[in-house]
Amino acid sequence: MSDLVKLIVNQHVDLNTVYLLLALPFIATLIAAFRQVVGVKSFGIYAPLVLTFAFWATDLKYGLTIFAVIFVTGTAVRYILKKMRLLYMPRMAIVLTVISIAILALLAIGGHYRRFGLSSTSILPILIMITLIEKFISAQVEKGLRTATFLSVETLLISVVGYYILIWDVFYDFVLAHPFYIVVLLVINLLLGKWSGLRLSEYLRFRKVIKNVEND
Amino acid sequence: MLKTIKNSRGILGMNARNLVYIRPNNSIKATDLANNKLRSKEVLFKAGIPVPKVYGIIRSRRELENFKWENLPKSFVLKPNRGMGGEGIKVIYGQKKDQGWISTESEAVSIKDLHSHIMNIFDGFYSLYGGEDIAFFEERIKISSSLKPYSYRGIPDIRVIVYNNVPVMAMLRLSTKESGGKANLHLGGIGVGIDISTGVTTNAIMHDQIIEKTPDSKLKLSGIRIPYWKEILEIAIKCQKASGLGYIGVDIAIDKERGPVVLEVNAHAGLSIQIANLAPLKYRLEKVRGLKIKSEAHAIRVAQDLFGGEVEQEIEEISGKQILGIIENVKIRRRVIQEDISSESNIADKEKKEDLEKKAKQEEFIELKAKIDTGAGYSSIDKKLARELGYGDIIDEFDLVTKDFVVNHNTDSEELDLRIKDYLDKWGDDFSAILAKSSHGVTYRLVIKMDIVLSGIKIHTSFSVIDRSELQFPVLVGRKSMKNFLVDPLKSSQETIII
Repeated sequence: MSDLVKLIVNQHVDLNTVYLLLALPFIATLIAAFRQVVGVKSFGIYAPLVLTFAFWATDLKYGLTIFAVIFVTGTAVRYILKKMRLLYMPRMAIVLTVISIAILALLAIGGHYRRFGLSSTSILPILIMITLIEKFISAQVEKGLRTATFLSVETLLISVVGYYILIWDVFYDFVLAHPFYIVVLLVINLLLGKWSGLRLSEYLRFRKVIKNVEND
Repeated sequence: MLKTIKNSRGILGMNARNLVYIRPNNSIKATDLANNKLRSKEVLFKAGIPVPKVYGIIRSRRELENFKWENLPKSFVLKPNRGMGGEGIKVIYGQKKDQGWISTESEAVSIKDLHSHIMNIFDGFYSLYGGEDIAFFEERIKISSSLKPYSYRGIPDIRVIVYNNVPVMAMLRLSTKESGGKANLHLGGIGVGIDISTGVTTNAIMHDQIIEKTPDSKLKLSGIRIPYWKEILEIAIKCQKASGLGYIGVDIAIDKERGPVVLEVNAHAGLSIQIANLAPLKYRLEKVRGLKIKSEAHAIRVAQDLFGGEVEQEIEEISGKQILGIIENVKIRRRVIQEDISSESNIADKEKKEDLEKKAKQEEFIELKAKIDTGAGYSSIDKKLARELGYGDIIDEFDLVTKDFVVNHNTDSEELDLRIKDYLDKWGDDFSAILAKSSHGVTYRLVIKMDIVLSGIKIHTSFSVIDRSELQFPVLVGRKSMKNFLVDPLKSSQETIII
């Protein structure tokens, strides 16, 4: 553990908090690199970031279960409400209400089957996941179910990768031992910010154009 | 692998587009203008670019409550001002007998539906960044007959990317059943690449995959000739100048009667256009970068020279010409008369006012069948029909003036009598006269320039006014009106062929 980290912990700051705050820039950079270099789109930088931390807080399997319940309920309720042509805010409130009930049921069922990890999930990660549903639903409206589902899967994918990095012992030790690695991240992001090359996904997307150039 | 990287160098990716082309060339101000449909419409209109008419704007709940729905025309489009990706647009196709309208999805639409749709627009549900928005009604573009078969319900549009005043790449966008009548590619519309020098389509894509035929009607998508191609390129260039965007995507639709009309301009033109054209965009952008472009004509020449395909040479002579049969449908626009508004207060003019109102209710165009005659120079129109089109007063005056001296006129001179000239000047540019020699001697004929739509193409052309009441067709189209057409005697008037 580096001296800086020791110093902060000695001021009665929780070690986990220190770790998460120092790991956050890494996850953010990871998402940026996924976007600019690989071409995984996801919902901005906020959604995959908080989802990563939510998974960390709930344990992956429970996090994914809760996420799945939220996503399926939210989409289903949206489709039912679509025919009623309600205004946006009240419609969203109804979606959130039904999701809350569904999560409550899920937790209760979890408790019934002695899955105490699930039933005792703390409220904060659940709240974060619930609030994300607005992003998913507005994406469904704006971009269609197909694209929105695709974006959700991409978001989920990044978050799962982020989760495994967060729980990785090697990474944990490294971050706490070398908190100044953040400077390197800044440099990486400066480079990413000026990166004008094709994304990996674009090689795939434009493969026919590339092939056509070959023929000319 | 290395080869792939080398060959991909000319392709414009998202990173390069944003960093190299959009950021430095599209100012925040110009981007904001492009995102604001009403304001950009105004700017384009002032620059002399054709845009759909606006029927009404609803800015607040109060305006919504007080809105006079009965003033809306039979068909119209409801749009959010800052909508994105074609979302939130409702196209109303016709009026129902009792109350309400029919949308292009054949759904019944009531005032209540439009009301709640507008409330959603207000709440920013369709707007770019979810902010509050306003709604407006605009003219519904009527699909031109040559592109109609390819599109499922919606209006096809042509996206032209312009950079440094040069149109660099273009694609035709068609709506499909899947895209719900919208021509947006991400919703499942079709993108068809266009050869920039000829306006002929090349390849087509749907969901970024190459397709040969339309999924709904199974029509071949390559080789379609886009009508008004040169005009479309000119308009796109003008749009760049007017909007101030350095890198712009211009969406143009072709109206049955008005010809090319700009639907909107985009500051973030997409990249799929490269797949539709099977051609790299960055390579083209780099080629025109820094070029000094002197005029629109120069810009089009540059684009044609640099990016024209190999198809063009053989058909250059006849390119872009519509084929006419011997008998064709023609629409003739009624005369537009600027009336004195002050006359409204006069009670004696009540009759005139009623007459005016009656006129306002009439259709803008009269549609009928015309004879296509390459043996005739001038087109001609029957006197009675010309009266019906609103030229009665001029015809009467002309006949009165020319009555006495025409018979005595025995010279070979082509000069017009000065007295007629005075009248012609008074009436304006659309009126002139010609000398006609026949077995009866020399007579004067009134010639009127009118707007007509011939086989789907809009032209402004001269008609000599004569008595054709004995003849089968009240309108004859002569050589002088056929500049942009070819005649195929075997073609029937039902089909539309463009080569």
